[in-house]
Amino acid sequence: MNASTERRQRLASRGVQAAFLIVLIALWYVATTRWRVSPLLLPNPVPVLSDFWEVLTTGEFIDDLRVTLSELAAAFVIAACGGLIVGYLVSRSHYRIRVFEPLFAAVYSVPIILFLPLYVLFFGLGPASKIALGASISFFPIALSTIAGFGYVERMLVIAARSMGASDYQLFRYVLVPAALPIILTGMRIGFTVALLSIIGSETIASLAGLGHRIVHLAEAMEMTRMFAYIIFVVAIAAILNALVSALEARVRRAR
Amino acid sequence: MTSRTTWTAAALRAWLRRPWLARIGVVVFLLGVWEIAARWLIDPMFISPPSRVFMSLDALLETRGVPAALRVTFWELGIAFVLSVVIGLVIGLPLGLAPFARRSFMPIILLLYGTPQVTILPLFVLYFGIGPASKIAFGVSHGFFPVIVTIVAGVQNIKPILLTSARSMGASRYQILRHIVFPHMIPSFFAGMRLAMTGVLLGVLLAELYVSTAGIGYFTTLFTQSFDPTRLLGLVALLAAMAIVLNEIVRRAEVHFSRWHSE
Amino acid sequence: MTREIAIRINSVSHRFGETDDARGVRALRDASLEIMRGELVCLIGPSGCGKSTLLSIMGGLMTPTAGDVEVLGRRVVAPMPREIAFVFQENALFPWNTVIENVNLGMVFQGVPRAERETRASRALEAVGLTDFAQHYPAQLSGGMRQRAALARALSLETGMLLMDEPFGALDEQTRMILGEDLSVLLSRTDKTIVFVTHSLGEATFLADRVAVFSARPGSIKELIAIDEPHPRKPEFVTSAKFTAIRNRLYALLHEEIRKTMAETEAPARPDSFKREAHR
Repeated sequence: MNASTERRQRLASRGVQAAFLIVLIALWYVATTRWRVSPLLLPNPVPVLSDFWEVLTTGEFIDDLRVTLSELAAAFVIAACGGLIVGYLVSRSHYRIRVFEPLFAAVYSVPIILFLPLYVLFFGLGPASKIALGASISFFPIALSTIAGFGYVERMLVIAARSMGASDYQLFRYVLVPAALPIILTGMRIGFTVALLSIIGSETIASLAGLGHRIVHLAEAMEMTRMFAYIIFVVAIAAILNALVSALEARVRRAR
Repeated sequence: MTSRTTWTAAALRAWLRRPWLARIGVVVFLLGVWEIAARWLIDPMFISPPSRVFMSLDALLETRGVPAALRVTFWELGIAFVLSVVIGLVIGLPLGLAPFARRSFMPIILLLYGTPQVTILPLFVLYFGIGPASKIAFGVSHGFFPVIVTIVAGVQNIKPILLTSARSMGASRYQILRHIVFPHMIPSFFAGMRLAMTGVLLGVLLAELYVSTAGIGYFTTLFTQSFDPTRLLGLVALLAAMAIVLNEIVRRAEVHFSRWHSE
Repeated sequence: MTREIAIRINSVSHRFGETDDARGVRALRDASLEIMRGELVCLIGPSGCGKSTLLSIMGGLMTPTAGDVEVLGRRVVAPMPREIAFVFQENALFPWNTVIENVNLGMVFQGVPRAERETRASRALEAVGLTDFAQHYPAQLSGGMRQRAALARALSLETGMLLMDEPFGALDEQTRMILGEDLSVLLSRTDKTIVFVTHSLGEATFLADRVAVFSARPGSIKELIAIDEPHPRKPEFVTSAKFTAIRNRLYALLHEEIRKTMAETEAPARPDSFKREAHR
């Protein structure tokens, strides 16, 4: 296959994707108008969009967004500090790595969301329990990637630096950090994504405020149109945040 | 090995050198901290020491409805897992084998896989009710994506030289599928199953915790609101144990079937 | 004694990419050659001169843009698993099968009845000296043994022709020497026609009955050198004056072609001929 047929195939693929999207939206519209699917199940897309616009323009989302974002920020900062420090300390010796890394991996493999009720019991329904859960879950990918990043720096690089007389601090700053940075950045990106998901998830399950809670509230009140509008909003926010974080990661990577 | 062990300092240090022993030591240490903190340092309304939790497990299981809820959750996990794998296979195989379909639909699938599904959890419950159906459905929606992704990757990763070699030996399309594509795909498939189990666990448990009027969610809400940390911890511990066992089963299966995979 | 022509290559030219595609690569230009039954012909030339491409075309894995190849009088349009077997440089053993399963699978593809497979397999493994390793997986074997297993698989197909594309290229020199000697012994015992692509002058001189020297891209056969030394060739041959003379001649012929290849300012990437065919 040569270049021109490849180009044609790529366009055709894009065509199929666009068609798929259009058909989906069309089905949605037809289902609610022609086929009389109950608006209690599936709201008409047009009022959903107008509600979405209304939410955006009136700034109704601000309070909930603020709660969610502040919980996210707090959880991520705690997880990052904890993960980086603990990860670095563990990575200092092979023995410590062999002891702790499997432990961390084992704990991380359990869905930590299970511990949410415990946090709610301890901290109440306020932001503290969400932050605690988000931090707990987000800690692990950061710690594990920090261990991987610092623990497996090519020995040759360390030997070469030492042979040139590098001090401990110089070794850390000019060899270990640049070498470990890509892996750690990836871990932090994953940690951020996971923190966001846990915060929204825990807001959905047990909360008095925040975006997750808002959606639940609307569902319980059967306000389908508005709920769909908020779902779109939250998905968009999540996409934007993830894109920002990915871009930040790429930027920092290039800067080293 | 001598029949009498001499507990010199050197021997003790040598024993501590073994990582697995140290790991157990860490766990024991943490349990000890928990025990001490729960008994003497923190209000018993908020936390319970592991000893009491362990002793009260039978009381927990005698609570009406708890064993049933646990059993139902276990079945939900099993059914959701099987469904995820089947759906993942049914979608993933054709996608993997047809390059045009793959190029068209994989971006859509990856996009869906990346959205925070937890936002539509209330929708699932609205549609499927508060019974097992919504939990299974939510679990499946988390579990089938990694199966598709790993199967497609497994088919795509075949070294072209293997296909060329088979062709040069006169293999028919069917023979290539059966003797090359399928065996090559197996490790990826099992990796996908491991991820599917993780996804299913997340989905089912999220849904269970969300529904506070039935199932596990009812009891977590009950124990939380009545400040019963003993039974709450016991319940969480049992669920965590369930998760660990299920994860371990799938992980071992993966290791067993991927023995040839040196890459 | 007239030997029949096993493979006849008629003015084969090949071009990758469309004729109007500026990035197209002319790999071969009017390559012609007649290979007799039972002889070992080496194709040698600078990188990118099209020798691997020609081998693929010979075996029916690719169709040339001009010219054709005849094997035993029949035009080659597709792989001919009963007549031609391949050994590739890249490890083409199926990693999830043991050595003996790999050898068996080749016969399954070719269509050998089950009853015959066992005898053929054990014969082939014995010929390459891997009988004790039949139950091993490729990952457990060294590079040299893996190539021996690939050779066994090709031998078990009992084809008249063997096309080998730098089969020892990824191995260290000492292993190459041993395998080369073994191949020579094999050649003396069977009536196979072997076409062997290599980069190594020493290897070509040691193994070949005739060496086809390629020019730089677009490749065509610059010269044919005959080596009159019966198989199995002894290790002493390598140090003989005859060997050195032939090797020197090859070196002289190739040197200017290699220089020409290196001097190419705008070198389009050499398309991997096998990758193209596999991604259908």
